[in-house]
Amino acid sequence: MIQLFHVSKFFERCTALHDVTVRIEKGECVLLTGPSGAGKTTLLKLIFGAEIPDEGQILVQNRNIARLREADIPYLRRTMGFVLQNFKLLPKKTVFDNVALPLIIQGVSRADSKRKVGEALKAVGMNHKHTSQTGVMSAGEQQRVCIARAIVNNPIILLADEPTGNLDTVLTSEIVELFKTIHARGTTVLLATHNQSVVEEMNGRVLHLQAGRMVSDKGPAA
Amino acid sequence: MRRPLYLIQEAFVNIRINRTSVMIGIITTAFTISCFGLFALLYGNLKNLAGTLQQDIEVLVYVQPEASDKIVEGIRQRLEGEKAVNVLSFVSKAEALKEFHQQFPDESTLLQGMEENPLPASFVVQISPQFQESDSIEAFAERIKQFPGVEQVRYSQDWIDTLALLVSYFEFGAIVIGLILAVATITIIANTVRLSFYLRKEEIEILRLIGATGSFIATPYVIEGALLGACGGALALVLLKGVFEFFLLEINASGWFSGLESVLIFFPFQTSLFLVLSGMLLGCGSSIISVFGLMRVRNEAT
Ligand SMILES: Nc1ncnc2c1ncn2[C@@H]1O[C@H](COP(=O)(O)OP(=O)(O)OP(=O)(O)O)[C@@H](O)[C@H]1O
Ligand SMILES: [Mg+2]
Repeated sequence: MIQLFHVSKFFERCTALHDVTVRIEKGECVLLTGPSGAGKTTLLKLIFGAEIPDEGQILVQNRNIARLREADIPYLRRTMGFVLQNFKLLPKKTVFDNVALPLIIQGVSRADSKRKVGEALKAVGMNHKHTSQTGVMSAGEQQRVCIARAIVNNPIILLADEPTGNLDTVLTSEIVELFKTIHARGTTVLLATHNQSVVEEMNGRVLHLQAGRMVSDKGPAA
Repeated sequence: MRRPLYLIQEAFVNIRINRTSVMIGIITTAFTISCFGLFALLYGNLKNLAGTLQQDIEVLVYVQPEASDKIVEGIRQRLEGEKAVNVLSFVSKAEALKEFHQQFPDESTLLQGMEENPLPASFVVQISPQFQESDSIEAFAERIKQFPGVEQVRYSQDWIDTLALLVSYFEFGAIVIGLILAVATITIIANTVRLSFYLRKEEIEILRLIGATGSFIATPYVIEGALLGACGGALALVLLKGVFEFFLLEINASGWFSGLESVLIFFPFQTSLFLVLSGMLLGCGSSIISVFGLMRVRNEAT
């Protein structure tokens, strides 16, 4: 599903990733941990095609990301969902419109997208609020909408970068539960966090990064 | 069906968010297009005027005084065979004298001392429309001169040439001014659209994140530019029409150039449409230029 071979990424002043090799199978739940600046976000960006590796190769669904033409990147992204710490929703639009956006981009018909958005909102428990504007919603609600938008396409891979970074412990647990449900449905989940309780609750494979190097790779506790 | 609708809606959202600069953009575009339009209007009227004047061009073919009736008849027959001849009339020596007396009653005494009427007979030729070019009139005149019994051929060559030259200068001027103003319009619209783009930078980031293609992201801005250009063109047309009507009123009121108002023309429908469409095309082009470099998807998402 996702394979990295000796991947390195350098910025002007630092090495964000150094010789990382890892293989993630379909349907796995992988947690990316490590201190701030360890290279978690960089790793996700590489998989997402937002950055190009300086060394090594990255295969996502057997496509070499580094060699992908710029014009093909949007189509790669349509097979993935992305959830971020700072939501990135359109504040003036309704919950429904926000979640429907990936479908509009792909030219899905109105009836189909209505059904798909309905399903995604139900999955995150936001079905009742589909006409509210996202700008006025609470952080937990906004993050749920983001997750709905990320899964509305039935992505093969769900990437999340600090999805609980702006949430309190109760909301964090709720969001973690959501990710577990999504994973249980067969989606490959790759979640970056430095929140230890998230790591424990998710109970997945843990990749630990430190200063750009992969220092440990532990399977889930039995 | 939903995608185009969405893209058009987004174009209107752009305009709403960026309305002040869009308004300024439309007005400045309208002024630049009006400048060009004013010039085009001048050119069109000059050309029209030249056309009307050329219609009145007469070629006078003077017959040698000693020419016999047979020779005169020969000239008439040959002239009638010429394709360039539209209307042909003959002024005999006697008629010429009568006309002279009518036109210049005071100078009648001038000719009285003469035993014989000194005025030559002549043919007055009105040229067919398709031969009214300065070159073909010249060629025609040269040919007629060779006819036996023809003394002289006269027509107002200088006047036609000057006018033709003026029209061609205007043509050249219109192209140069048009190009300069097109560049100006492109710059104005490109800046307006670029501002819209920056005002929605966050939203564009989100679109990239969820897999929108570069052209999907750019389309609303191209539509915005096209609308802006078309509005500018339409506004320019209204301005020009206003100026034109005002000018006509002034002419009528002053009475200086009476008769001129019947010759003056505004743009025909096709030209008006062309003006609006060219504004639209300029708008499209400049917005494509302005957002083209901003559509990269790598290194900018998240
Ligand atoms: N665009 C960039 N330009 C320059 N340096 C960068 C860039 N992006 C990341 N870096 C650097 O690369 C290193 C890794 O950054 P990264 O964002 O991947 O860390 P992280 O593990 O996500 O940290 P955090 O937990 O704080 O989000 C950092 O030292 C950072 O300063
Ligand atoms: Mg990070």
